[in-house]
Amino acid sequence: MPTDPLPTDPSAPGFVAVERASYRYQAGGPAVVDGVDWAIPRGEIHCLLGRSGCGKTTLLKLAAGLLLPSGGAIRIGGEALRGPSPRAGFVFQAPTLLDWLSALDNVLLPVSLKRRPTAADRAAARDLLARVGLADLAERRPRELSGGQRSRVAVARALIGAPDLLLLDEPFAALDALTREELQDDLLRLCALHGTTALFVTHDIGEAVYLGDCVAVMAGGRLTQARRIALPRPRLPALRYTPAFAAACRALREAMDGETGPASRRPAA
Amino acid sequence: MTARLPSLLLLLILLAGWEGWCRFGGLSPLVLPPPSAVLVTLGGEIASGRLWPHLAVTAAEMALGLGIGALVGLGTGILLAEVPALSRLLRPYVLASQLVPKLALGPLFIIWFGFGMTPTIVITALICFFPLMETTLTGLGEVDAARRDLFRMLGASRLQTLLRLKLPTALPVIMAGLRVAVVLALVGAVVGEFIGGRSGLGASIIAAQSVMDSSLIFALFIVITALGMLLYETVRLVERRVLRRFSKG
Repeated sequence: MPTDPLPTDPSAPGFVAVERASYRYQAGGPAVVDGVDWAIPRGEIHCLLGRSGCGKTTLLKLAAGLLLPSGGAIRIGGEALRGPSPRAGFVFQAPTLLDWLSALDNVLLPVSLKRRPTAADRAAARDLLARVGLADLAERRPRELSGGQRSRVAVARALIGAPDLLLLDEPFAALDALTREELQDDLLRLCALHGTTALFVTHDIGEAVYLGDCVAVMAGGRLTQARRIALPRPRLPALRYTPAFAAACRALREAMDGETGPASRRPAA
Repeated sequence: MTARLPSLLLLLILLAGWEGWCRFGGLSPLVLPPPSAVLVTLGGEIASGRLWPHLAVTAAEMALGLGIGALVGLGTGILLAEVPALSRLLRPYVLASQLVPKLALGPLFIIWFGFGMTPTIVITALICFFPLMETTLTGLGEVDAARRDLFRMLGASRLQTLLRLKLPTALPVIMAGLRVAVVLALVGAVVGEFIGGRSGLGASIIAAQSVMDSSLIFALFIVITALGMLLYETVRLVERRVLRRFSKG
């Protein structure tokens, strides 16, 4: 059995600790995130899997501090979040690059908002761009880059400050399958480099299994499943075609099918 | 140049038709002077040097009115966009101030500021204010939520978000507003002079009308149009430079 059902253990002190977090857009309205408990140990990559509209982006924004929970708390390194966390890097669904800056200046944006970038900052940015295969395109503007290259710049930008935590909101969803797989490999390498903790939101089961140490399934604002993915690291492209990988995907798929509410359940075949 | 050839040709055809109509249609030159007479008058005005001081006055009124109106409009747009409460409070009054026919305020401005350039500059500035304010307000509101979240994540201050995200994003829209303002500035300056000007191209039109010199009126039309096109093209040039620096590409 490649995956064993293992609910996240609230007693284990996670680097990221989500404690009974809930969120409503309006007081008295329906809870978009409904009493979620989750712990992510330092250095692990956790994936959050769910259908559109299940509340996974809202949960990610709670973890980022972009939204504050209506109930419960989010702790990063033991400290409760009160606003956008300076220790977290965020990669959005769209690359959200600034069109008027070069790729290099886009990567340097987090630095340049705090101080004038030094030669060392520039070297670090160029190094990150090289690691995502854009060494020669540093001076190009976003319009002159392909979709995949823009996503790579966005990932490099999120990592420039060496954040402890990387939060990603379906960052590769708009890319073609091959580019997506390349970016997944880039991301795994970059996270391994500094032991970055990551929370990756996706609706793609294969992506979640390939990237995650643990995959949580969300439906109707609640975490309905959390499974450890017992696949070896480093994960290499050949892994995608192994029986163990396929079995892990199937187990998650069945878990998702079992947990959809009556409203979204497909008619029985 | 080849692309402009057809429109140049059309101009020549129209001028020839006009000339022919005046010569052979038995039309009084008082009603409609032929283009040849207009050109002679224009040449005489230029050669005698009578035209230049008036041109300078109108150009100065236009430039000052446009500059002041655009800057105040930009500033107000930023303020209203950044402080929604202020926007809710002031929008109706700003709108009302624009719906008052500004040229009708001319006589009042003459009482307040006297004859001369000041009332015309104030009218021009009032006219130019609105397109800049509206486009700034719209442009600043168009920044997408994800990029605003990005700046929040990066701990950017409000001023940084304004200067490094919102204004560059809004710039193409703001520049379009500036182009509209340029056209309106010319109208403001010339018509402002109708009301209270002693010199300037608009005042010259009124003076020519009082002696029924319709050929001079047409010559002044040409000068005003040329002035407007010159300023419009200058703004286009600035716009292209700014957008190359700050926009996609």
